[in-house]
Amino acid sequence: MSWDVIFFFVLAAGTLVGGIATVAAENPVHSAVGLLVSFINIAGIFVMLGSEFLAVLQIIVYTGAVLVLILFVVMLIDPENLPAFYVAQPLQRYVSLLLGLVLLLEIGAAIITRTAMEAIGPHSPAWIESAGGNIQAIGQVLFSEYALALEIASLVLGVGVIGAVVLGVPERLGRMAGLEKATISLGHSRGLNPQLPAGHKFETPMDIPAERYDVPEGPRRVIMTKSADEYKHPGETAQGTRR
Amino acid sequence: MGDQPIWITFIVTLIIMLVLLLGMAYTTWVERKILARFQDRLGPTRTGPAGLLQPLADAVKLMGKEDLVPRGADRKMFLWAPMISFVAAVLSVSVIPFGGTVEIFGQSVNLFIADLNVGALFLLAAGSIGTYGIILAGMSSGNRYSLLGGLRGGAQVISYELVLGFSLVGIFLISGSMSLGDIVAQQKQTIGIGPFEIQNWFILSQPLAFVLFMIGAVAENNRAPFDLPEAESELIAGHMTEYSSFRFALFYLGEYIAILIMCLFASTLFLGGTAGPGADRFWGLGILWLVLKVVAFFFFYVWLRATLPRFRFDQLMGLAWKVLIPLALVNVLLTAFFRLLANGQVF
Amino acid sequence: MELTTNHFLFLSAALFIVGMMGVLTRRNILVVLMCVEMMVAAVAITFVAFSNETQTVNGQVFVLFALAIAAAESAVGLAIVVALSRRGKAPDVNEMQALRD
Repeated sequence: MSWDVIFFFVLAAGTLVGGIATVAAENPVHSAVGLLVSFINIAGIFVMLGSEFLAVLQIIVYTGAVLVLILFVVMLIDPENLPAFYVAQPLQRYVSLLLGLVLLLEIGAAIITRTAMEAIGPHSPAWIESAGGNIQAIGQVLFSEYALALEIASLVLGVGVIGAVVLGVPERLGRMAGLEKATISLGHSRGLNPQLPAGHKFETPMDIPAERYDVPEGPRRVIMTKSADEYKHPGETAQGTRR
Repeated sequence: MGDQPIWITFIVTLIIMLVLLLGMAYTTWVERKILARFQDRLGPTRTGPAGLLQPLADAVKLMGKEDLVPRGADRKMFLWAPMISFVAAVLSVSVIPFGGTVEIFGQSVNLFIADLNVGALFLLAAGSIGTYGIILAGMSSGNRYSLLGGLRGGAQVISYELVLGFSLVGIFLISGSMSLGDIVAQQKQTIGIGPFEIQNWFILSQPLAFVLFMIGAVAENNRAPFDLPEAESELIAGHMTEYSSFRFALFYLGEYIAILIMCLFASTLFLGGTAGPGADRFWGLGILWLVLKVVAFFFFYVWLRATLPRFRFDQLMGLAWKVLIPLALVNVLLTAFFRLLANGQVF
Repeated sequence: MELTTNHFLFLSAALFIVGMMGVLTRRNILVVLMCVEMMVAAVAITFVAFSNETQTVNGQVFVLFALAIAAAESAVGLAIVVALSRRGKAPDVNEMQALRD
């Protein structure tokens, strides 16, 4: 048993254990950590297959950004309304597990009986060494053959960012576009007009009425916990000015 | 690198780890002394001569505390989070070159643990994993302040990671390689400016990237003035609130190791690493120059902490996304333009 | 035992099927998103395994693009989940029927 095989089995076991933990964990935080373990092991597998650049990229992009985003959303979503665990009834769960195993066996059979491809490609290890390493090789191919795809990918990412911002912070965008909103004030100095102009009833572009809280009809107002007359200048109390 | 017997790699690794851990412990002493002098007081003086045994005293105190796990905490995550933070910080030292390949007692020894082809990115990746220590600690403590601290800390770290990454792209454009050994070797080449021959340190050709990198590094390490997630007056200790004894020590020391790593990284990328007069003849001198540069950067960190007030969280995020990242992109653009000019491919 | 490409393909298939089970059975939409990411990662392993076997680098370039697209898709998906949660919907795939009705 060479070291290669041992590393492969350790990494593969880690990947699959992480994957099963993702699917089977009750708490979504545990699922996310299972996915984290899985991704790190996948990075190890990429290194075994000779692409260390993709391994590091996987960790920086996938675990370091996408999974962190997922963790943030898991944290921000109200844990009271977490749904029940599975979609289906127990019998269907076991049947789906069985069908999954059958599918795995089929794919396994297809893999075993395939005709292995020969190493016909132009990017032999000698070529990669002469180009300077894995990154330089990927760079040469990326910017020559796939330059158009690169530009389109950057467009897609830009659209993704804009979409996420529009969906995520509609109030701020609405405020910038001139709509008004109420504020809850725990204290305001004298002189603020507590009546704000009438605002829009719904807050998101999706215009779905809220079910969890009542959005008041009519003009929005500032909810003040103290009346405006109770605010004094610093040092001034009801008994007179304090030195 | 593959032809070096593995026991030599183990010995080098052991030595580097010991020096790192010792350095981390005494970094806390150095910081307390310098911070004290900035604030017109003396710092630790009683424990040992000039307070030199203070880190030892701190360690004994921290070990002696009760190791609590709060009742509402998610036990597994709570126990694993500080380890993730610590391991991610320590992992980064494996790609930093402390020299080339030298002959010691007739055996050729590499003065680094690994010279990866993607060394600089490996450091960024280790930093990404360190984020999880903060977020999981915040989430698993069962405490609202910790959750907020963890969220804020995590958001800050991932935003400033982008700043760090972009500021590195300029260096990659100039050096054509992401391997830290290559970058150090290129900085040892001399260029002539007027009558002088100076070494081609990247701080001269990438000043904007240097400034952005330093700001990004300070923010990435959650250090003042970007230390809102763990400032005492804001969120108690943020994500570390519920930790005591050795787990807190892991967080605390992991943070200092991360600071040391960023200082090492900055000196390697911008100040030539082990470059300096006499370094090519005696490799010990090279290591000495590297240590001096790291001390200079660390002094800069402490100086910032002593001098500047804290950023508010939205100011912090606004600075990253609205100022630093566009500046970093401008840096990449300018570097690429000048590179093309030098190659004669523009006009 | 020698390590061939088939080993990596098996691993990738197994991971893909685990992800698929997650997408089909779990009810929490965030876990469904995570399992979709797992499926993309499994396909990435396949690409890199074949790129290793045929000694071309194009497979790795494609994984780069797949990573970028998966990141963009997860960002938009999560923004949708956040917006829906703010409107009071639980993160439950059986409840999210606004488009259907």
